Amino acid sequence: MFHCKVLLCIAILSLISSSLGTVCSNPQIEAKTYTTQDGTVITNVAFVARFSLKCDNGARELPLYAEINGKTFPVVISGKEHYQVSWVEDVKTAKSGSHDVNLFDEEGYAQLRKAIRNNEDVSAVKPLSQIQVPHPGTYQGPWLNSEFLAVVLSLIVWYSAFSTKSKLLS
Amino acid sequence: MSAKNKSVFTKEEELLLQDFSRNVSTKSSALFYGNAFIVSAIPIWLFWRIHMIDVYSSIISFIIVTLASTYLVAFAYKNTKFVLKHKIAVKREEAIAREVSRKLSEDKKMSRKEKDERILWKKNEVSDYEATTFSIFYNNSLFLALVIFISFYVLKTFSPALNYVLSIGIAGSILALLSTGTK
Amino acid sequence: MLRRFLFLLSTLIVAIQSAEENDGGARLLVSKQILNRYIVEDMDVIVKYTLYNIGSSPAVNVVLKDNSFSEEVFKVVGGFLNIKIPRIPPATNVTHITVLKPIVDGFYNFTAAEVSYQNSDESAKVQVAISSEPGEGYIVAFRDYDKKFSPHLLDWCAFAIMTFPSLAIPFFLWWSSKSKYDSFSKPKKSTKDN
Repeated sequence: MFHCKVLLCIAILSLISSSLGTVCSNPQIEAKTYTTQDGTVITNVAFVARFSLKCDNGARELPLYAEINGKTFPVVISGKEHYQVSWVEDVKTAKSGSHDVNLFDEEGYAQLRKAIRNNEDVSAVKPLSQIQVPHPGTYQGPWLNSEFLAVVLSLIVWYSAFSTKSKLLS
Repeated sequence: MSAKNKSVFTKEEELLLQDFSRNVSTKSSALFYGNAFIVSAIPIWLFWRIHMIDVYSSIISFIIVTLASTYLVAFAYKNTKFVLKHKIAVKREEAIAREVSRKLSEDKKMSRKEKDERILWKKNEVSDYEATTFSIFYNNSLFLALVIFISFYVLKTFSPALNYVLSIGIAGSILALLSTGTK
Repeated sequence: MLRRFLFLLSTLIVAIQSAEENDGGARLLVSKQILNRYIVEDMDVIVKYTLYNIGSSPAVNVVLKDNSFSEEVFKVVGGFLNIKIPRIPPATNVTHITVLKPIVDGFYNFTAAEVSYQNSDESAKVQVAISSEPGEGYIVAFRDYDKKFSPHLLDWCAFAIMTFPSLAIPFFLWWSSKSKYDSFSKPKKSTKDN
């Protein structure tokens, strides 16, 4: 009798949790990323990753968490199936190349937090999925001011003419 | 004999006059004004493309300033050339003498005086040529350096039209002023 | 006198009770910032929303809606303007970034975004708050920005090419004449030394 009750409880709970959608089976992700590449008018580089998540068990609007380079962010939900991860980095420290975003569901996130607290290996916690955010680099303006170059060049030409003239007049 | 002396004298006189006067031949003058005009007109490109000056509304100021600057730059050319000519003549004297004597060495009929005259004439011509070309080169480089420096650094915050008038005007004036000094 | 005293007391009790009610709930402070030095037409504008929960309960079903960017002026290139956050625990903050690009230039008033959330896990009452306002800004036309900041390398190169003949030709003519006569005087110099 007792075992039946426990089993029933477990069954109900799992049904509730899957219908509430805290667990996703076989996640399929389609991601679209955007990074700001012209650094001349902005103060930070923004990384935005939008993705849609399809689960086999039809779970929607799951609370997800993202982990990038050891920092954790909550994932925000837009609409029924779309999610977004976004963060900013300083223009000078933003690295070009691919940034890996690890996605965790509630369970995975709890495990991740425990691993961080106990200083265990973070990579041991298996993420739900992973997204790559490529960043080709930030344009910060030309290396040399062209006017400065022009002035320097013209002054060099004039100076060589001047020294030749002095030699002639000596 | 006297007639010949007279002609030689006048020719020498002529040459000396030419040597010491600041007047230039029409050919030189044309060369000077032509170059001065070109070098005064080129900065208009800079102002049009980089300072984004409005071409149509400033066209009158373009014409006036270019003409004024042409005059000033040509003035500077003349003065610089005059200063350089003598120094170059002194330096070239020996070399030209050798060249001319080498050329005329076969011709035994020519008198000493005529040879000297030829040397003097050739020296004048060469030093004139070198002084002209170097004066143009020197003044062009100075003018352009001044225009770039003044319009992009000194007068950076001024409106493009005012920037144009002042930078070309000041550059031309400085050029003319420096050329009158006898360094 | 007694009546007045009783009245005051009852008001005080009600006030304390209502304060107690609010004390336990979640409270979100939302700041909306534009991370740009200049706002230029057709160049990225980064909008950063920071939601901070200063209450003692988690904020549940937080909905952030930003209708302040009209479709005629801005187009969204990265991120969403209407989002939902399932849960914000107390004393934590959540940041959300959206990247937009202006399609016209001129003055624009950047107004606040709206946030609605439930006070705690149990409460069903929805609380509404607004974010901070970045204020009025000016979208610079791309042409003006380009004129001020671009290096104009091509224009300078064209200028260099144009000035090259007026400098090179006189120099070359002078140099050729000079070297010709220098070569004449050189053998004489060597004989002079001897």
